[in-house]
Amino acid sequence: MANTVIRTHRLKNGLSLVSEAIPEARAAAFQIMTPAGALTEPAQTAGSSSVLENLCYRGAGSRDAREISDTLDELGIQRGGGADLETTTFAGALLADDLDEALAIYADIVLRPTLPPDQLEGARQLALQRLESIKDNPTQQLFIELFRIYFPGPHGRSPLGSRQGIEAITVESLRSDHHRRYVPGGSIISVAGRFDWDRLIETTERLFGDWEGQASQPPAPDTSNREHYQHIHEDSAQEQIGLAWPEVTADHSDFYASRIAIQVLSGGMGARLFTEVREKRGLVYSVAAFPRTVRGAGLVLVYAGTTPERRQECLDVLLEELRRLPDGVTEDELARARAGLLSSQVMQGESCSARAAAIARDQFTLGRIRPLDEVRAGIEQVTTGSVQEHLQRFPPTDFTIVTLGPEPVEVKQE
Amino acid sequence: MSIQQQTLANGLTIIGEPKSSAQSMAAGFFVRTGSRDESPEVSGVSHFLEHMMFKGTARRSPEDVNREFDEMGAHYNAFTSEENTVYYGAVLPEFQQRLLDLLSDMMRPSLRDEDFDLEKKVILEEIALYQDRPQFTAVDLARHLHYDETPLGFSVLGTVRTVGGLERNQMRDYFNRRYVPGNMTLALTGRYDWDAAVAQVSAACGSWGNSPAGREHPALQPRTRTHIVTDRRLNRAHLAFAAPGLSAQDPRHRAADVLAEILGGPRGSRLYWALIEPGLADIAQLFHDEGDGSGWFGAYISCDPADAEEVRSRFLKVLEEASREGIRPDEVSRVTRKTAAGHVIGGETPMGRLTSVGFDWVYRGLVESVDEEADALLAVSAADCTAILEERPFNNLTTVVLGPIRASFEPVPVENGSTSNGEAGGEGFSEPDAGGR
Repeated sequence: MANTVIRTHRLKNGLSLVSEAIPEARAAAFQIMTPAGALTEPAQTAGSSSVLENLCYRGAGSRDAREISDTLDELGIQRGGGADLETTTFAGALLADDLDEALAIYADIVLRPTLPPDQLEGARQLALQRLESIKDNPTQQLFIELFRIYFPGPHGRSPLGSRQGIEAITVESLRSDHHRRYVPGGSIISVAGRFDWDRLIETTERLFGDWEGQASQPPAPDTSNREHYQHIHEDSAQEQIGLAWPEVTADHSDFYASRIAIQVLSGGMGARLFTEVREKRGLVYSVAAFPRTVRGAGLVLVYAGTTPERRQECLDVLLEELRRLPDGVTEDELARARAGLLSSQVMQGESCSARAAAIARDQFTLGRIRPLDEVRAGIEQVTTGSVQEHLQRFPPTDFTIVTLGPEPVEVKQE
Repeated sequence: MSIQQQTLANGLTIIGEPKSSAQSMAAGFFVRTGSRDESPEVSGVSHFLEHMMFKGTARRSPEDVNREFDEMGAHYNAFTSEENTVYYGAVLPEFQQRLLDLLSDMMRPSLRDEDFDLEKKVILEEIALYQDRPQFTAVDLARHLHYDETPLGFSVLGTVRTVGGLERNQMRDYFNRRYVPGNMTLALTGRYDWDAAVAQVSAACGSWGNSPAGREHPALQPRTRTHIVTDRRLNRAHLAFAAPGLSAQDPRHRAADVLAEILGGPRGSRLYWALIEPGLADIAQLFHDEGDGSGWFGAYISCDPADAEEVRSRFLKVLEEASREGIRPDEVSRVTRKTAAGHVIGGETPMGRLTSVGFDWVYRGLVESVDEEADALLAVSAADCTAILEERPFNNLTTVVLGPIRASFEPVPVENGSTSNGEAGGEGFSEPDAGGR
């Protein structure tokens, strides 16, 4: 890990190329990240980011859907990516020797999709099917609803869109959306693993240098006027409980203290939530807290699933744990949290795909890449004092809560 | 990168695949036991026991176990399947001694009463969790019916009734029979010290008494059947299928994996073009699950209830065409190249290699390196895949349809209530690999 090298290059059209060379790697992983998430899609065609991403693989450059798929498979590419709230990502991992060829095909997919009219109906139906499947996936449904009420504005959108929006999509609307939002200004290409840096610059300039356009400024996240409790009725075997509150973002001086605090809550099976909710009381199989960052806002999400008759006890124990967090963490808890975060950093550094995703995300949210040494130092500098100061400044409070199950809970905000 | 192996006098095998350039190491105990080794009245005991193994030993409390893993910053968990129970952790190399001390101590648990009663509640929550996941319910029911009441079809989680009624001494008996050193393997991957590991594990585990654990291999009578479970609370039709597959010991097991990927891999497969591309289903996948002495092909499709019959007939058409016309070389070359690259990429991390190394040894008594695996995959031919189809595995197809659908395949209005038309109800069926502890 200590030997990785981070390099960046900016093309004239505004596209950022970021990279991390990992010695000994046999693979290379890449992400092409455009700022074309649900956040900036036209409201009347909600879901168009997902449909557009899908359609890009159904015809691009001189290839049709089957030729694209077959070529990617022949190159041994493990495909990833998709449309999310803030971005649409085209991602892959493959044996390092074939990277140039892969990037050439992805340049067609991202820059020159043919958007064939005879493929739109299939892409539309697939999007509608995915929307319907959420209703049979209570946990996914819970988090979509939690985001929707936590961010009353466009940050609360689901990348899956809406039935009405998906039905309103036309080839023309997608073409104009592609022209407006698949642009180099604000886009990022990240590569991690084994590659030749000079050749990568040359390849990127050749394939993406003529790309034109600049992304418009996305709206800022807004959580004012958010609702605090919502119940969704389902005759499910478990009551799903989801909870969110504001947290600092990665550019804040409290950032590493905040990550230690979340780790103390939920970093392992010895962490507070698992110990109190599951090990001592047997209330759940699954309980966790995890951070989420969008540009301009951070939040913490908590999940627990319990049988309906124990829903109130489960929520009460969760809230008690969150509210006592500002009382401080012990030296032992700090040491365990630090060990967990540091070893996660090392293990992430062993995976090209994980690093390609991490450096693209850093570039997107921070406009720069945090070298692993900086992250390590940030984690090591946290003390029990700095954690407590952070929690006094930003205590877990003002929760937004969603439950999904047979009965609502009673929510007592402070 | 050669394989290291040593078997202690009591039968415990230690195997290792070293990688000196790794930044971490992983270790795991692979116990050759799971739901197929249970009797019906203790259904779910393997998985419940897996949870109890974290609940302390003669020298550790339950809190100590969790705390020590966290102190090392370990990535750790355990899982139970039909025939394996695995406990693993990945750490920085400096923690090798502590990790092996903890894992080997855990393999001789206290199984205390108060922990047993409390953990039972957690298992019942886990059963409830999977009741809300119809895709797992459907696939597990298909597997259960396919194995036709033999232990091979038992549920990993068990049911509310069997787990609720389980007693601690029944678990202790099961533990004593199954967790014998000859039935266990410790696998190591990444950057570790082999000699130190062997010395430490010999001292910690060398005194465990051995006895034969054994395993039944019931005769299977392939059957064809369709089972519709009407559940009006659901929004989608969940279709699951099962058919006879190949065992892990069958030299053709890799060709069976390639065949499954060609027919039903998540992208670019025949099912993909038949069902996903036109937007008839949002998931349509077929897989091959190799097992000890037997294996099965499984499939899962999620679609609109109104399209369920059409989707099923297109699925069958894909299987019929493949059986009739065989597999083309270009399909095999794409899938083997993609899968071989996937092995190399997945094998980058010690944790990513651990289960491949462990299961290679448990099933086949050898360990193939990433490159040997890739070479063997690239050697699979279209004729190998077609030969498997010529045995007509899909002629004995078990079909499960779960959703707001009547036995006649007509969709019913979505409302509350669940009914079943067949011999097996929906209680307690769960996914094949029932999650972490």
